[in-house]
Amino acid sequence: MIQLSHVSKFFEKGKNAVDDISLTVNDGEIMVLLGTSGCGKTTTLRLINRLLDASSGTVEVNGENVRRIPATTLRKSIGYVLQNNGLFPHYTVEENICTVPQLLNWPREKTIARCHTLMHKLKLPPEQYAHSYPHQLSGGQQQRVGLARALAADPPVLLMDEPFGALDPLTRDAVRQEFKSLDELHTKTVVLVTHDIEEAFQLGDRICLMNAGRIQQTGRPAELLFRPANDFVRNFFDRQRTQLELSTLKLRDIWDTIPSSHNGENYVEITGDASCWEALSLLTSSPVIATHNGTAKVITGSAVMNGLQTYKTR
Amino acid sequence: MEPSTSFFDFIQQESAKLLQQTLTHTGLTFISVLIAIAIGLPLGILITRRRRLSGLVLGIAGVLQTIPSIALLGFMIPLLGIGVKPAIVALFLYALLPIIRNTYTGIQGVDPAVTEAATGMGMSDRQLLLKVQLPLAMPVILAGIRTATVINVGVATLAAYIAAGGLGEFIFGGIALNNTGMILAGAIPAALLAILFDWLISLLQKRMTRQSRMRLYLLPLILIVLSSFYLLPMRNNARLKAGFTPEFMGRRDGNLGLRTVYGIHINPLVISDMIMYKAAYEKTIDVISGSSTDGRGKAFDLVVLQDDKHIFPPYYAAPIATNTILEKYPELEPTLNLLAGTINDSIMTALNYQVDYLKYSPEKVAREFLMQKGLYQPARNGSKGTIRIGCKIFGDGYILANMYKMLIEGHTDLAVSTKLGLGGTKICFDALNNNQLDVYPEYTGTGLLAILQTPAEITDTLIADKDKVYTYVSREFEQQYGIKWLKPVGFNNTYALMMRRQQTMDLQIKSISDLARYLKK
Repeated sequence: MIQLSHVSKFFEKGKNAVDDISLTVNDGEIMVLLGTSGCGKTTTLRLINRLLDASSGTVEVNGENVRRIPATTLRKSIGYVLQNNGLFPHYTVEENICTVPQLLNWPREKTIARCHTLMHKLKLPPEQYAHSYPHQLSGGQQQRVGLARALAADPPVLLMDEPFGALDPLTRDAVRQEFKSLDELHTKTVVLVTHDIEEAFQLGDRICLMNAGRIQQTGRPAELLFRPANDFVRNFFDRQRTQLELSTLKLRDIWDTIPSSHNGENYVEITGDASCWEALSLLTSSPVIATHNGTAKVITGSAVMNGLQTYKTR
Repeated sequence: MEPSTSFFDFIQQESAKLLQQTLTHTGLTFISVLIAIAIGLPLGILITRRRRLSGLVLGIAGVLQTIPSIALLGFMIPLLGIGVKPAIVALFLYALLPIIRNTYTGIQGVDPAVTEAATGMGMSDRQLLLKVQLPLAMPVILAGIRTATVINVGVATLAAYIAAGGLGEFIFGGIALNNTGMILAGAIPAALLAILFDWLISLLQKRMTRQSRMRLYLLPLILIVLSSFYLLPMRNNARLKAGFTPEFMGRRDGNLGLRTVYGIHINPLVISDMIMYKAAYEKTIDVISGSSTDGRGKAFDLVVLQDDKHIFPPYYAAPIATNTILEKYPELEPTLNLLAGTINDSIMTALNYQVDYLKYSPEKVAREFLMQKGLYQPARNGSKGTIRIGCKIFGDGYILANMYKMLIEGHTDLAVSTKLGLGGTKICFDALNNNQLDVYPEYTGTGLLAILQTPAEITDTLIADKDKVYTYVSREFEQQYGIKWLKPVGFNNTYALMMRRQQTMDLQIKSISDLARYLKK
């Protein structure tokens, strides 16, 4: 668990300040720090692994004030992924991934085994890539090595600073999918910084929206969309609002508004866990039928839109 | 110009010495580079950690770099005397800037994302430096070492001026002796050394970036081995230490004569004439190859040892001029001859003393002397033409050149431009012979031996008689070069072995034969 209480950080130039932030990240949760550039989200992230020290307030990781832990010890227990991957150009992929275990003096066999396990999981066959240098890899591969390096010593906490920001849209999507399905991450407490709203909604269990050094709202994606705390939060999502709402809302959330209807032929079958957006996407090519709590209903475009409308006015 | 074969003859004859000088040169270069690395690398690292110091440190190193190398060597003498120590310090100061600067820029040039990643993963400052910053900055740092090495191979040639040895001994000796082969024997190996080291380090630089990081650890070892070359040609410790000028070293009427005629094997340091007298006074060396009319001999109370076996030929000074200019301006010759016979040895020594020791300007000394002799006249308009006067880089030359300038400008309608302090016989004479000078004062002995390179059989018949020498060089210069020797000024500035007065009394040495006997004891 990561806990920030009334944390402020001011720089001499008065730039990028963080102003009285309180935030709790629960164990096993992915918390996304979202905001425009210069809003203080990266500063907040760097306060956690003490790349910066807070001017006031306390930062706790797993119940311990980070100021009481030597910075190097603290950092070795926190995985760190950077936007431009920050791989060591003079180290091979294997040496890069083994950096932290080596700093922790792990036995060599254990280090190598761990490295190869991670490489397999991230679709970088060790026999092919272990002895390559970073510049010989594609951008997506480099970012995956960066992720493997952060995970190598199996730290309970992972900090990610715009980890997919430098990738082209196609690669970004692929690496993001892989990231999401990585079993390693399900047990970790993750703080991820991004300015990409879609990414925040796709990956975040909760989102902390920041502006000008202050937290505007912290909550689950649906909360930010449907119960914005202020005008800034409301306006922030306006341009993609409908798409975000449809992606966030599951069929089960609007189940009672969907009229019951009979079974028919050639339907695509989905469950109530599918999002409205998925249902609408499928509807463009064939009729769709959804099952939830043992009942089946035919899904239509107007049913979904009506459901959304009703949900919002509730 | 001599034929090119003389160069090969020379290196064949002097191969042992050439090897020794090359080793000394390599040693000098690498000792100083090694010290510069030992100090420059940590300094460079320090200023990446304490940014505020970077301006100051780089500034000071930069200023050191701009001091002319000869001047820097000169500054070292009062502090450290002569020999190896000041040479290494000066070379070290030159090597410092490229090493500090490249260490600094190399480390600063490491991608900030990489250093942030390293810090973020929990590396200590030390681990960050050793595992990330230094390896990544290494190609740039090596480039700095490479620059420093090449600079030092060049500057180390000047170390011969302050008796530190190296390939400069041949170069300066060659310039002084009008011996192109000798100059090349110093210059070509120096250039080859620079190219070789440059290439070797560039090789290391390329390899370093990949797998073979081990080579990095070999580098200090290699440097130490190369540095130790300086110690190989150990100088034997004779009972007295001698310091001879590069010119004296290679001459038949110099060190060679001492060896063959007197049987003196003293293994001297090669030292610049500018610092030799003071070094003798300060007891750094005991025996020097001075010139008999030098004011510093008087200033430092040095005694001339009697040349009882007559190996030093007469060196009577006289202006020499091209026939072309003498025919073009007939009034020139009588004007230059106004000085003939007016300055004897003791007058010249006194004049030199005023310049060398009392630090009067040669111009002032020249004017006062001419006034005293009633020869001084204020300069006329100088509209008729310009005479170019040169002189070599020591006292006599400056004073005589100034006197001739005043005489010509006062007694004729000619103007004078001076090129004073030329680096040696070869430079002066080549300039005169190639019509870049019209007049300069030369010595009969130098004309006989250094310029005409008269064979030993002829020299031996002339050497005891100053008039025979004068007649011989006048005739030969006229025939070979179309250059005329005007009337001698009067003094004989010959070579002389000099020692401190107190020491000659303690050891009862009056002549060179006494010295030889003492050394053989």
